[in-house]
Amino acid sequence: MDETVAEFIKRTILKIPLNELTTILKAWDFLSENQLQTVNFRQRKESVVQHLIHLCEEKRASLNDAALLDIIYTQFHQHQKVWDVFQMSKGPGEDVDLFDMKQFKNSFKKILQRALKNVTVSFRETEENAVWIRIAWGTQYTKPNQYKPTYVVYYSQTPYAFKSSSTLRRNTPLLGQALTVASKHHQIVKMDLRSRYLDSLKAIVFKQYNQTFETHNSATPLQERSLGLDINMDSRITHENIVEKERVQRITQETFGDYPQPQLEFAQYKLETKFKSDLNGSILAEREEPLRCLIKFSSPHLLEALKSLAPAALFSRIQKLLCYSASHSQGTQDLSSYVPLYTRC
Amino acid sequence: MEQANPLRPDGESKGGVLAHLERLENQMSRSRKQSEEPQSVQAQERVLGTKIQKLRHLRDDLKAAVRHRRGSVKACIANVEPNQIVEVNEQEALEEKLENVKAVLQAYHFTGLSGKLTSRGVCVCINTAFEGNLLDSYFVDLVIQKPLRIHHHSVPVFIPLEEIAAKYLQTNIQHFLFSLCEYLNAYSGRKYQADRLQSDFAALLTGPLQRNPLCNLLSFTYKLDPGGQSFPFCARLLYKDLTATLPTDVTVTCQGGEALSSSWEEQRASHETLFCTKPLHQVFASFARREKLDMSLVS
Repeated sequence: MDETVAEFIKRTILKIPLNELTTILKAWDFLSENQLQTVNFRQRKESVVQHLIHLCEEKRASLNDAALLDIIYTQFHQHQKVWDVFQMSKGPGEDVDLFDMKQFKNSFKKILQRALKNVTVSFRETEENAVWIRIAWGTQYTKPNQYKPTYVVYYSQTPYAFKSSSTLRRNTPLLGQALTVASKHHQIVKMDLRSRYLDSLKAIVFKQYNQTFETHNSATPLQERSLGLDINMDSRITHENIVEKERVQRITQETFGDYPQPQLEFAQYKLETKFKSDLNGSILAEREEPLRCLIKFSSPHLLEALKSLAPAALFSRIQKLLCYSASHSQGTQDLSSYVPLYTRC
Repeated sequence: MEQANPLRPDGESKGGVLAHLERLENQMSRSRKQSEEPQSVQAQERVLGTKIQKLRHLRDDLKAAVRHRRGSVKACIANVEPNQIVEVNEQEALEEKLENVKAVLQAYHFTGLSGKLTSRGVCVCINTAFEGNLLDSYFVDLVIQKPLRIHHHSVPVFIPLEEIAAKYLQTNIQHFLFSLCEYLNAYSGRKYQADRLQSDFAALLTGPLQRNPLCNLLSFTYKLDPGGQSFPFCARLLYKDLTATLPTDVTVTCQGGEALSSSWEEQRASHETLFCTKPLHQVFASFARREKLDMSLVS
C-alpha cells in the first residue's frame, strides 16, 4: 500500500470520533467482519488506528478505497461543510432524460481527466437516487491534494446538484461543465442558496418542506390550536386582544405550517423601492430613481426565528417587508421562489 | 196598667192613650224594622251574594289553573319520553349518514383522482394504480388565486411537474390534472414492475438490476435456467414515453459473445418482443413457469 494512501487513511480515521468508528467502518465495508472483530476498540485511539492501518495494508487498500472512506466520513458529518446549490437547465425540446448511472460516471470522470491529468474522482450512490462525487484536484504537474477535496451531491434526473464550497475556486467552472455534459444538460447556474444543512437545502429546492396534506382520510382537519389558554382557567378571565392574537396565530400557521422549518442561516434580498412620505417636499420622496438596497437576515435558524416573531407582534411588519421585497427583488435568483412562504401578501 | 174599668171607653183613652201611643210606637218600630230588615237583609244578601259569586269565580279560576297545570305537566311527562326516543333515532340516522358520506369520500380514492377543499383552495390527491394494484398516492395543494398556483406537493422531483404546470395549469386545469395523473400512474407502474422483478425474480437475475429514479431505463442480465449452462441474456429497456408503462426500445443481447445458434437467436428475438409487449414481471413470471414446466418434463 502506498505511503500516501496509508497516511490518508490514517488521517481520515483519526478524524472519526470513537463512538462512530464501528458504524463508519461497517458502512465502508472494506474490512471484513472477522477483521473488525480482531480490533479492540476500547484501547487508546492511536492504538486502534494503528491496528486498522495494519488491517488495511493486509487487504491492500487502494486510493479509491481511501477516497470512499473519506466520502462516508463526510456523509456522516455533512454539517461541517457549507453547501452551495447549482441548477442546471436543458435546452427547449430536449429528449426525455434516460439517465444511465454508468454512463454518467464514465462521462464525468473522462471530462475531468481530459482537462486535468491529475484528478481523483470517486463515486458513492445513496438510496435517495443521489450520487456523492468526491474530487481531489491536482494540476498538470502536481498530484491531487487529497486533503482539500470537493464534494458534489447530484440527484439524478433532477436539475439540482449540491457542491461543498471550497477554497479552490478556479476549478468550479470545469466542475460545472463536467456535471452539465455528463448529465446531458446545457447550462448550469449557481443559486442564491447556501447552507450547512443539506436536508434543508433539499427541502427548499425540491419543495418538500411540508408533507402533510388534507385528505378525507385524515381523522380531523387541520385543527385550530388553542392559544395555550387552559380550559381549566376561570371563564371569567379573558385574554386581552384575544381576537388579534388568534388572527396572528392563524396567519403564522398558514404561512409556516406545522412542520419543522428548513434550517436557513441567512437570506438576502435586493430591494428596489420608492420612498413615500406624508410631508410634502421630502427629499427622499422626490427622487426619480428608486432606492436600491440590500437586506440581509441572518440567524442560526432563520425560519424558526421569523416564525417566533409572530407572537411578538412584529410579524406583520416583517411579513410586509418580505412580501414587498420579494415582489420587487431583482437579480438572477429570487429567494422567495424557493421559499414560497413569503410570496403571500 | 190596665184596670178593669167599668167605664171602658175612658179607660181606654187615658191609660189607653199612652198605651195606645206605646202600641203605635211599637207598631211603627216593628214595621220599620220589618221594612228595614228585608232591606238590610237584602243588602246583606246582596253583599253575600256577590261575595259568593266572586269566590265561585275564584274557585273556578283556580280549578282551571290547576287543571291546566296538571295537564301541561302530564303533557310534559308524556312528551319527554317519545321526544327522547325520537332524538336518539335521529342521531343514529345522522351518524349513519355521516359514516356513509365519509366512506363515499374515502372511496373516491379508488377513482384515482380526488380532492378536498381547503381554506385556500383544494388539495388534490392522485392515487396511482397498476394492474388493479393500488400504489402510491401523491398530493398537489392548489391555491385558488388569480394566477392559480401550487402551494406545495408531494410529487417526486424527477416528474416534470413544473413543465406540465407551465403548459396547462392556468388555461386548462382539467388537462393539467389528467396529464399529471398520466405521468404519475406511468411512473408508479414502471416502478412497480422494477420492484417486482427485483423481489420476486431475483433467482433469474445474474446481476443487480440497474435502474434510475424515473424507472425509464432498466438494465439487467438474466438466465432462463438459473443453475444451468446457458448463456445469460443482457436486456436494456428504454421507456422514452414517460406516460407509458411499456418500453419503447428493447435490446436483448447474449453475453456469450460467440456466434449464437439459431435457437438462441430465436429466443433472443422472442424475448425482445415479449419485453416490448408485456409488463416486465409478467414476462419473468412466464419464464419461471416455463422453467418449472421444463423441469417437470425432464423429471
